[in-house]
Amino acid sequence: MFKVGSKLFLGTTGFAAVNLVAYLIFVERLAIGGVALSMLFAALIGVSAAVLMINDGDDETQPRDTALTRASMWPLIAAVGLVLLVLGLVVSQLYFIFGGIVLVAALAEWMVQAWSETASDDPAHNEFARRRLLHPIEFPVIATLGLGVVIFSFSRIMLAISKNAGTVAFIVLAAVVLAVGSMFAIRPALKPALVSGICVIGAVGIVAGGVAGTGAGLRPQLAEAAAEDHFSHRECGPEKAKYFDKKAMKTLSLRSNVAAVIELRDGKLTADVYGFSGPQQQVSVPRANPVTFIFRNFDSAERRMVAYLGTAAAATPVDGEMADKHGDTNETCTQLIPQGAEQALTITYNKPSIAQDNDKPFTLTVAGLEGQAIEVVVP
Amino acid sequence: MVRATTAVGAVVGLGSCATNAAQDTWQPKGPNAKMIDDLQQPIFAVAGIIGIIVFAAVSYAIWRFKDRGQPIPEQTHGKPALEITLTVIPALILAVVGVFTFRVIFDLAKTDDTELVINVTGQQWWWEYDYPAQNEWGITQPIITSGQLVMPVGTKVLLRETSRDVIHSYWIPALNGKRDAVPGRIHTLRLEADEPGIYAGQCTEFCGLSHANMRMEAVALSKEDFATWVANQQAAYQSPAEGTLAKEGESVFLNQCVRCHQVDGLKRPDGSLAIAAPDENVWSGAAPNLTNLMTRNTFAGAMFDLLRDACRDDVWNAESAEFGAKYLAGVDEACLNVNDLRAWLRNAPEVKPMYANPALLADTNGKYRGMPNLGLSESDIDKLVAYLLTLK
Repeated sequence: MFKVGSKLFLGTTGFAAVNLVAYLIFVERLAIGGVALSMLFAALIGVSAAVLMINDGDDETQPRDTALTRASMWPLIAAVGLVLLVLGLVVSQLYFIFGGIVLVAALAEWMVQAWSETASDDPAHNEFARRRLLHPIEFPVIATLGLGVVIFSFSRIMLAISKNAGTVAFIVLAAVVLAVGSMFAIRPALKPALVSGICVIGAVGIVAGGVAGTGAGLRPQLAEAAAEDHFSHRECGPEKAKYFDKKAMKTLSLRSNVAAVIELRDGKLTADVYGFSGPQQQVSVPRANPVTFIFRNFDSAERRMVAYLGTAAAATPVDGEMADKHGDTNETCTQLIPQGAEQALTITYNKPSIAQDNDKPFTLTVAGLEGQAIEVVVP
Repeated sequence: MVRATTAVGAVVGLGSCATNAAQDTWQPKGPNAKMIDDLQQPIFAVAGIIGIIVFAAVSYAIWRFKDRGQPIPEQTHGKPALEITLTVIPALILAVVGVFTFRVIFDLAKTDDTELVINVTGQQWWWEYDYPAQNEWGITQPIITSGQLVMPVGTKVLLRETSRDVIHSYWIPALNGKRDAVPGRIHTLRLEADEPGIYAGQCTEFCGLSHANMRMEAVALSKEDFATWVANQQAAYQSPAEGTLAKEGESVFLNQCVRCHQVDGLKRPDGSLAIAAPDENVWSGAAPNLTNLMTRNTFAGAMFDLLRDACRDDVWNAESAEFGAKYLAGVDEACLNVNDLRAWLRNAPEVKPMYANPALLADTNGKYRGMPNLGLSESDIDKLVAYLLTLK
């Protein structure tokens, strides 16, 4: 009843059970690790049951005798994975994860190969059994990895060449893929070797291009943008970031649910508040709740909106926003944005307006535009 | 089994016959709710007729063709004409329903003819209403209240809803359908009441332990009465006279309650304005503003009435012409539901579950969800009740 495969999986299941119990007792009961180990345990029970039910997959119609095992590359690969795993403990988490994946994959392949080679005395039958078990896993994984390498290589090409050249490259590649795909579709009788050859040549070409692109590095604008401080605008002073996305508009959901849209048009600052007809000079917002304003600049010059946040701790920009509270000024602001662009600013007003100085209410102003302000009222 | 079924049927039947069901969806009291009612009545009728036909056909088939040992009839497959007909007819019915439904949806979503805007913010487990400045209504400075939404009759009122913590849903069945109040979003809902009166509702999105206790009432006043209400809400704060129990209650309020509850105009002994800090003490960052508390009829998220039963019935059942005066009279000592108010002040979490167990506060960074037990003495409660009665 208990053969080699059954013993192996039952042993693994028992080991998983011990791990689970030890984890629950010594580490933490209600943790994701416990859930993961429970799932592993349940999965191994299923596998063990399946192995027992099929009697280790032994085909009793085939004569069993001593069967020669083939040379296998999996011990070597498993050793490489193990080395990477250990090396990763010291060098890098990336090595550790990659080594772990390689080790697990190699051990799985090795175990299945070892089992299949003793399943019967017929090597062809054994190879069929191995393929039957592993191909449904191998093919999707290999295809995913292959596509990933091709896509990553293409992204390296796009990041290395100029924006215009990138547009041309993208169009040309898309046209080639469409043409070749159409040819395959209308000529189903093409030899598989030819189809495979074309695909391999294309993939190798892209990977080679990716290697070259990686060697060339990012195009100058991207390299400069990567080195910029995209949060330099929080000082509400001169703009420092040159390649920042000044047309950042956040999400459609956010834009349709703002407290007010603040517009600068023909030198006049107004608030468009949903529900109120016509331009407003005052916006009423709830206390202690993040509210979002969108600033739209229709002025020909680049402009930024500045929010006065009142006395200390009266209001705070929401964490993670592009704008951040600046030092002692109790202000936050948007980027300098060009004509026709817009940007959102999210603020939480913790204290009511009555807690502020009468002559210094919460306001939204535009730097350089004197004498105009939208008052923010917090009941 | 038969008895139980009969009993359940009787309860359901009798419940359906209730005439004083304040949250009856079949009794619209405003044009928005009427639009929904005008849509649902014919759809319900058509669906009912179709339902009866289907049930009758199924019952007939079950009875007529039940197994009596007869031979299995000839088995056939496919009857295109019948199948197409039975597909097209429901599709046509749904298309007609869809046309009228979409029209109502778009009509209900109209906001361009809004006459009064009110911001509505939900949090566990009460609703806050703030009225932005709107000079045409005499609202020159924002008004903030809770529990009861006060609005003028015959006016297109636009609610701008949001939430401070989890998703809630605002529903006054007599005035319109439901609308979720979602953190970070502003959703709109229009209300309009034909007649003065109080219209009840409750949160319809499960929002935590006291979801069922998160109620609300919309109070419709004539435009003249609404103007009176607005003027009263904006009146300056009047501190109780020196030497009174209420004045002592003001001190208790300043020592205890003002940590979370704002009373506009209330000053500390040093003359500075008393500013509440619910953002430092409450998980949602807000607690009901108690300015003019006794002009409302409810407290604790409208879970309790501020009026005794008799006084409450007098207001709720008042004729339209008399309703405004009775509502604007507010709550006095004779009508105050002092038992529930005292119980609330004595130990709020005991009468309205609010996760007030200190052991659970670690998850909220030490902040309370709702009002905690303040450990007030009976003497302090006496003083507080006397003080709260002055907030009119």
